[in-house]
Amino acid sequence: MCNANGDQPIRLKRRPIAQSIENLDQLLSLEQGRMSRDVFWDKDIYEQEMERIFARCWLFVAHESQIPKAGDYVSTYMGEDNVLIVRQKDGSIKGFLNTCPHRGNKVCFADLGNARQFVCNYHGWAFGIDGGLKGMHASETYEAAGMDKSEHGLHPVAHVDSYRGLIFATLDPDAPSLADYLGDMRYYLDAVFDMDEGGTEFIGGCVKSVIQCNWKYASENFVGDILHAGWTHDSGAKAMVGGPVAEVHKTPEQSYHVNFNGHGWEFNQDIVGNCATLGEKELLKYLYVLQPKVAERLGELRSKMIGAISSCTLFPNTSFLPGQNTFRTWHPRGPGQIELHTWTFVNKKAPQEIKDMWRKGTMMTFSPSGVFEMDDGENWEYSTRSNAGFVTRQQDLYLGLGHDTRVEDTDLPGNVYQGQINEANQRAFYQRWLDLMKADSWKTVPQRDVPKMKEGV
Amino acid sequence: MNAKTTLPEIPVDAETQRRVEQFLFREARLLDNERWDDWLALMAEDIHYWMPTMENRRRADKNGTYAIDRGALYNDNLRDLTRRVTRFKQPTAWAEDPATRHAHVVSGIEVYQGGQAGEFIVHSTFVNYRSRVEKDNDLLVGRREDVLRADGDGFRLARRKIIITQSVLMAKNLNTFL
Repeated sequence: MCNANGDQPIRLKRRPIAQSIENLDQLLSLEQGRMSRDVFWDKDIYEQEMERIFARCWLFVAHESQIPKAGDYVSTYMGEDNVLIVRQKDGSIKGFLNTCPHRGNKVCFADLGNARQFVCNYHGWAFGIDGGLKGMHASETYEAAGMDKSEHGLHPVAHVDSYRGLIFATLDPDAPSLADYLGDMRYYLDAVFDMDEGGTEFIGGCVKSVIQCNWKYASENFVGDILHAGWTHDSGAKAMVGGPVAEVHKTPEQSYHVNFNGHGWEFNQDIVGNCATLGEKELLKYLYVLQPKVAERLGELRSKMIGAISSCTLFPNTSFLPGQNTFRTWHPRGPGQIELHTWTFVNKKAPQEIKDMWRKGTMMTFSPSGVFEMDDGENWEYSTRSNAGFVTRQQDLYLGLGHDTRVEDTDLPGNVYQGQINEANQRAFYQRWLDLMKADSWKTVPQRDVPKMKEGV
Repeated sequence: MNAKTTLPEIPVDAETQRRVEQFLFREARLLDNERWDDWLALMAEDIHYWMPTMENRRRADKNGTYAIDRGALYNDNLRDLTRRVTRFKQPTAWAEDPATRHAHVVSGIEVYQGGQAGEFIVHSTFVNYRSRVEKDNDLLVGRREDVLRADGDGFRLARRKIIITQSVLMAKNLNTFL
């Protein structure tokens, strides 16, 4: 972990935490499998999420492969805060708010690129890739005013760290380590991001779109809702493979929900089920050849997850699909809108034609023009929008599937539930949400989940 | 936009120009009326139907705004287009029921001789407006560069490049062709 701040004084004075909305406990009755619709609609709840979730949690910001060389950068978001993630000369990675400390203008308008410096268009303040203020137009006027350049760098994020090529950042100096934050979910992350010795990379750039829905509808869908696929995605499955979605509810003994710290993964052990929906036989062959090697490195169970029917959300707003190889962040834009950023990930050592098939496969299935995603957006938009009704939003919603499915006697890390048709992960996601929303600082966030993995493994 | 045509721009005769315009106007009507199979029949066997996504990069960045190996909303051959049409035709294509209302407006049509005999390079601009249920309205504006190939009395579409103005697609999906 590195503190991007270095020795620079921080000119950003964080205001004390705002008083919490009262009676947050009443929003969720998870034991009864009920929850309030206010969490998807209320503007005050959204504002509190910005402070207590997005300005506090570790958020995915980039993949290492996107910024291999010194000066390489991507512009992304942490909540609604625009940040630049920049590779340094020593190979480390720093993150800064993309805003000039002089009059507040954005200093970088490109989505990505390589920079020697970031220069503000307004008054020509120029910042090095380390965030330090190097100079400005008519610099003698500032000298005459006695301004100290060293006090006016770009504001750094609190911490940057990475796991298996995935770079995360947090805006909270008091956040736990990334290893603690991800906890036992790292065990499962390895099944996808460490299935091959070379690790993974992002290819083909970023596809961005806007959906008029609350961010949690998207996150909770990927955290555990395979149930929707058999119904929502029937048309997409028929388009890609000529038949309906696999009926995974009939074989719960082969599948699981696992969660830790609000992150969740629902998965089958069918090796290639997700991948099959891309309709490319060569990809299935690639995974079947790889599977025994993964079994040697990571064991039998994880080798069967590499492209299986499954989905994962890393709390709060980053998700991916093994096998379909789409990786995505649902950036919040008010309670009723998200900006969706999606990438394609592949094993770095995969043959080029295999990588190209996955790049095209994510486009055909999970992109705004994709035959699966096409039907998701509308569901989430109207799940959100119907809550405009004053009386409508006083009706509770149901999330009670799989109440008695906890597997107690298991060596598997995390909280384990039998059967991927389940809402255990969704309930854990909202429990974590509530814990963070109620806590005044990281110190008072309850540690509900007991890690089986060692710190820093 | 960094679209470049390396071929010299040799205009065609007025009758060819008129026939190409009719082809594009009819194509737009087929899409407006969800006549998906009739639309697919306009494609050549080797169609490359490409709609890259736009990246905001500095002008000095030689990687350009878009590229064939980067993000795309369409990067399709005939098999891919056929799969998309298959979804549109399913009774379980929930986001198409009730039907989306489409208007494909095509304008600014320029026709030049292509690189092969019987091929034509066709530039056009488009406005696409989609409306769904009560008030979901999505607007896309852009420019296309096509290669049309003479086929009997008509044409087939052999290449299409679609460049839209948006870098963040301001819509939940793209449930049409452009």
